[in-house]
Amino acid sequence: MAAFWWLLQKDLVTEFRARQSWPTMVLLGGVIAMVFGLQLDGLTETRQALAGTMLWIATFFAAMTGLDRSFALERQDGCWECLRSYPISSTTLYLAKFASQALALALLQVVLTPLFIVLCHVAWQAPWWATLLVAALGNVCLAAVGTMIGALTSGMKHSGGLLVAVALPLTVPVLLAAADATRLMSAGQCDSAWWRWTNLLAVFAAIYLSAGAVLFEFVVED
Amino acid sequence: MNAHAASPLRRSTLDVFCAMLLVAVFAAIFWLAPEEQTMGPVQRIMYVHVAVAWCGLLCSIATAGAGALYLWRRTLVSDHWAQAAAEWGFLCCGLTLATGSLWAHEAWGVWWTWEPRLTSMCVLWTINCGYLLVRANLDEPHRRARVAAVIAILGALDVPLVVMATRWFRGMHPESPSMEPAMLGVLALTAVGFTLFSVGIVARRRGQLERLSQLEIAEFEQPQ
Repeated sequence: MAAFWWLLQKDLVTEFRARQSWPTMVLLGGVIAMVFGLQLDGLTETRQALAGTMLWIATFFAAMTGLDRSFALERQDGCWECLRSYPISSTTLYLAKFASQALALALLQVVLTPLFIVLCHVAWQAPWWATLLVAALGNVCLAAVGTMIGALTSGMKHSGGLLVAVALPLTVPVLLAAADATRLMSAGQCDSAWWRWTNLLAVFAAIYLSAGAVLFEFVVED
Repeated sequence: MNAHAASPLRRSTLDVFCAMLLVAVFAAIFWLAPEEQTMGPVQRIMYVHVAVAWCGLLCSIATAGAGALYLWRRTLVSDHWAQAAAEWGFLCCGLTLATGSLWAHEAWGVWWTWEPRLTSMCVLWTINCGYLLVRANLDEPHRRARVAAVIAILGALDVPLVVMATRWFRGMHPESPSMEPAMLGVLALTAVGFTLFSVGIVARRRGQLERLSQLEIAEFEQPQ
């Protein structure tokens, strides 16, 4: 447990001091929000229906940019090799990396959600607990898959492109579920359909997180 | 001499058997299966569509299974099986989407619709693309095998979604279609025929990959 906190603290302190990944993520997410808002200006109904989808697409691409950058920096500075030589389990390493990515995504959504509401003029009628639940589950899924694939593709030629090419198909069911859940709850409809999408997100979060914890051992071998 | 390598005679017997099987399957589709009253001859696409979809799903499971076996045993033979199954699975999933599109145009009036089973199959096909893309970017055989195995296992999580899509989400695909016994017989024959054909093709490709791997090792070990 101490190793987990130490690794998480290392990632957070490094990011706080150098500010190399998170500002890029937030900037990219903001630009996507701006472009979508501009394109959908005047289309009131379409805007309301698509806001959830756009929010999750922006989150996904911003998250992948941040992940790619974060792993590239670790490789570049030789930190990855040092981490692997410490006597810590690969599961602890995965969970710490996952936690720092999930925190980065939470920060990203704290900025992006109000930005989308303002730029797309969305009437947000979702209860706070539903917003938190969908955001948390979606972020857990994206961070679990992203950390895994980010570590796999780091150090390869064209790692950025490969990360998106592999992670996007794996997270499509998650993005669809999160987008539909967001669309329904933003219209104030936290009904059975919304619960079904949320349940699907919870199932994927549990599966991806467990798979990541088990399989990360094979990812960090070399 | 490698114990897994099949003799040329065994290989050509397998090829002839596969070819005859395909001829028999297509003969059954065109001559044995009764014509459907509403759609006419176009309905015969369904036999191929279901069979290739089944093979695509089977190949995804086989790729993940062979990948898991590689992670456990660390022998490249498992990785060759995984790659062969993935390549054939990629083709089968692509054919499923193509034949499904032809069917959709005749039955529903559109080339493509975002129906749950179509969408999940399309996702599986893109996962296959990503898997092959990553493989193509790695040169070291054991690293390639390890990375590919992890992606294959994660990708196989989409298979239950494809299978259960019509039950879990509302869609246009029938859950359990009612058919005449003759049609069901031809469908079963096509599924069995395509499965055996797929096994033959994957085994053949696995042999090719193994010889290619031996060649790579021999080149690597040759003094400069």
